Formats: sequence, structure tokens, C-alpha cells
Amino acid sequence: MHADPAGVLTGAHFLDGDQACTEGCLAAGARFAAGYPITPSTEIVERFAARIPTVGGVFIQMEDELASSIAILGAVWAGAKAFTVTSGPGFSLMMEHIGLAAMTETPCVFVNVQRGGPSTGLPTLPAQADMMQARWGSHGDYSVIAISPSSPQECFDLTIKAFNYSEQYRVPVLVMMDECVGHMTEKVIIPEAGQIEVTPRRHTKAPPGEYKPFLPCEDLVPEMAHAGEGHGFHITGLTHDERGYPAMNPQAHDKLVRRLRDKIALAQDRIVILDEDGLEDAEVVVVSYGITARVAERAIQMARRGGIRVGRLRLVTVWPFPEERIRALASRVKAFVVPELNLGQIVLEVDRSAAGQAKAISVPHAGGSVHRPEQILHAIEEAIR
Amino acid sequence: MPKGSVSILVERCKGCGFCVEFCPTKVLELSSAFNSKGYHPPHVVNPEKCSGCDLCGMYCPDFAIFGYKLPATDKEAQNAR
Repeated sequence: MHADPAGVLTGAHFLDGDQACTEGCLAAGARFAAGYPITPSTEIVERFAARIPTVGGVFIQMEDELASSIAILGAVWAGAKAFTVTSGPGFSLMMEHIGLAAMTETPCVFVNVQRGGPSTGLPTLPAQADMMQARWGSHGDYSVIAISPSSPQECFDLTIKAFNYSEQYRVPVLVMMDECVGHMTEKVIIPEAGQIEVTPRRHTKAPPGEYKPFLPCEDLVPEMAHAGEGHGFHITGLTHDERGYPAMNPQAHDKLVRRLRDKIALAQDRIVILDEDGLEDAEVVVVSYGITARVAERAIQMARRGGIRVGRLRLVTVWPFPEERIRALASRVKAFVVPELNLGQIVLEVDRSAAGQAKAISVPHAGGSVHRPEQILHAIEEAIR
Repeated sequence: MPKGSVSILVERCKGCGFCVEFCPTKVLELSSAFNSKGYHPPHVVNPEKCSGCDLCGMYCPDFAIFGYKLPATDKEAQNAR
């Protein structure tokens, strides 16, 4: 299915990452957003609020992040594609409903333009310190998909991807931007609607009476019906059976929670996107994501000029984590260098995946600015020693 | 024998009809009687069909209806063995 031309602003634009993200949402077919605007994500909903009357849809400024995140789930079950936008403090408040979205298998998108934390931290300055929270922030076992764009163009492209993944796998997808990417202005090409692939809602063909809201298809993902169509179904955050009725026993719980995990694990190869370069003969691999990948690119160029064989592995999707790819590389490289705007989060996953076959060297930064390329270069030089 | 039953608190009801609409076995209908606020609360028209699933209770915005399972009779308990 192709994008609805009404939401596609075809052409070459000069946009910041936040604005490009808005255009991505509109192109993907999002017609409902609820938010409690927070720096540095405000421009996303600001632009959405300005654009949506011309496209046809709704933006509501809610009383807080809890209300915003639950409103989008309601909109989805009423038939819309919906998203909300926030930064660290709001992301913490939204955790409850990320869990509810995972449990009720509600396709939706949460955009987190990361800033320095914890708490109110650095409202106007970048960080990448919510990466583990993105994976594990809500209680219970569940899987999500998280994407990390590193340019305004990617903010557009990957936001569409995020909506497509959410519809395909019925899972909340987290767009993990950072303040730098959000406020960086670059050229953004928006293609024609006919060239934008959009995944439609997986709507059931079963008639009312026969429809079971949580009966999984072959890929473990169930099909949806919308409120008001006569299917008369029940959706709850309680552990439920295929009919959606609460089922308070260990057997039903095991079945449901395993499926929530397995449906993502089963599709891992189709979900994971990696940007790789020079890995064939690399001694050291720099693993990075978001804005840090662009700083790392400079360090990689400097190291190569110095004769070091260094490869690039950029995590375009961070969750699910490309464990197998890292493990395969670990068997033939000396070390992974992992720069990130936190004190060491994704490096833990790299280290776990490498399983002792190669070192994982963290290049931490508490946030508030980006790394200097020399810091990463220094770590690369240490790694080959 | 019905497997379940419902209790209805007619004074809490505002007659939205969710319980009637969503009951999987169509046990309920809105009655022609009024409560003191002038709403038509539901009443049971097919008691033998009630499974006691309490879906009506989960939907009710006003906590005006509760479904519950009835204990199995001796004969049913024997059959189950």
C-alpha cells in the first residue's frame, strides 16, 4: 500500500530533525497525535498541530504525558494511526502505557527526543541515556522495537518505518532521537506518495461473533477490529486469552507473554537494520547510533588515515539488538569500540553478545554535548594495542 | 442449569446499554421499568444462558452490574469427575 498523498509534502526541503519527523508521521498516515510538548521535541507536535487541519486529523494538547500516551492507544483502537512525542521526563511517565500498548498489542509510535537526565536534567542539550529504559522501562516481560535516526532525512524515513513496523508486528515502536538530530537542519527529500510504502492496519476479515481479538496468525501477530464496528470485543491490560477475556492462571500468562516476545524474535531478521562499512578486514569495529554515529564516522576516517583497519557498524535499529551479527564479528575482530552519550548502556549488550570473544570498549559521555572525534580515535588506538 | 448469574444495582445505572450490547450470550435487555433517576436499567431475560463471565461487569462504567459463577450442582460435579 502507498502513502495517502494528502499527508505527503513531496519535494526537497530544509528541515530540522523534529520537523522531518512530523512529515514522516503524516506520510505514514498518522492522523492523530496527543502530546504534552517538552523541549527538545516540541517542534514535532508544533508542526503537526499546524499541518493537521489541512490534512484532516486531530492534535490534542493533553494535561500530561500519562494522558497523552493513553489517548493515542484509544485513537488506535478507534481506527487511527497515532503517535505521541516527548523527551526524558515525559518518557518516564509514558512507561505505563508503553507496557499497556505491548500487552494489548496496540500499534503506535512513541518519539523520544533524548536530552540529558536523570529527571529534568539538561532540557536543551543532547544525550542518549534512555536506551536501556526504551528496552526495559515498563514492568514485565515484553519486546519493543526502537529506531535511532542520525540525520533529519532519517528522521523522515525511519519514522515511516516505525509506523510500518508497529502495524506489521502490533507493537509500540520507539523512535529514539536526540536533541542534536532533532535540532539539526539539513536537506530532506520527501518522495512522491506513490513511492512511499505504508503498511496498512491488519484488520480482521472475521465477522462479528467469530472474531477473536488475540487469536494469533502464523507470524504470532493477531488481527485487529476497531471499536464501533460491531465486533464487541474486550481489551485489557490483564493477562487475557484469545477472546480478550482476563485469564488469571500461569498457563495463559506463559502463553501470552512468550508470544509477545517471540513475535518480535521471529521477525528479528526483517526488523534489524544495520549500516555497515569496511567490516571485511576490520580489526576494530566502532558500534554507534544516532548523532554519535556521525562523530564516530570522523574518528573512523582519521583512524583509517593512520593505517588502522576499522569498520563501522551503525545500529539503525537498536532494539531488537543484533546479537547474532555482533557475535559473528566478535570471532574475527580484536575489539568493539562503543561511543554513546551515556555512561555505558549499549556497550553492555555488545559485550554480552561478543561473549568474551572480543573486547567491548566503552567511550562514555554524560551528555550535554557530543564526543570529540579524538576521544573515539583514542579509544580505537587503545583497542588495537 | 445456568453456570452463572448477574447482580444489578439499578440505582447506579444510567442505561447506557453496554452490558446488553456486549453480553456474549445475550442474557440481558434494558427493562421498561425506571430507576429513581428515570433511566431504564437492564434486566435478565435469558437466565439459563449466563456463563458468569462478568464481561458486563468489566464494561459497566458505573459498577452497576456484576457477573459471577454459580457453584456446580452435585450432579454436575459428578459428571465433571
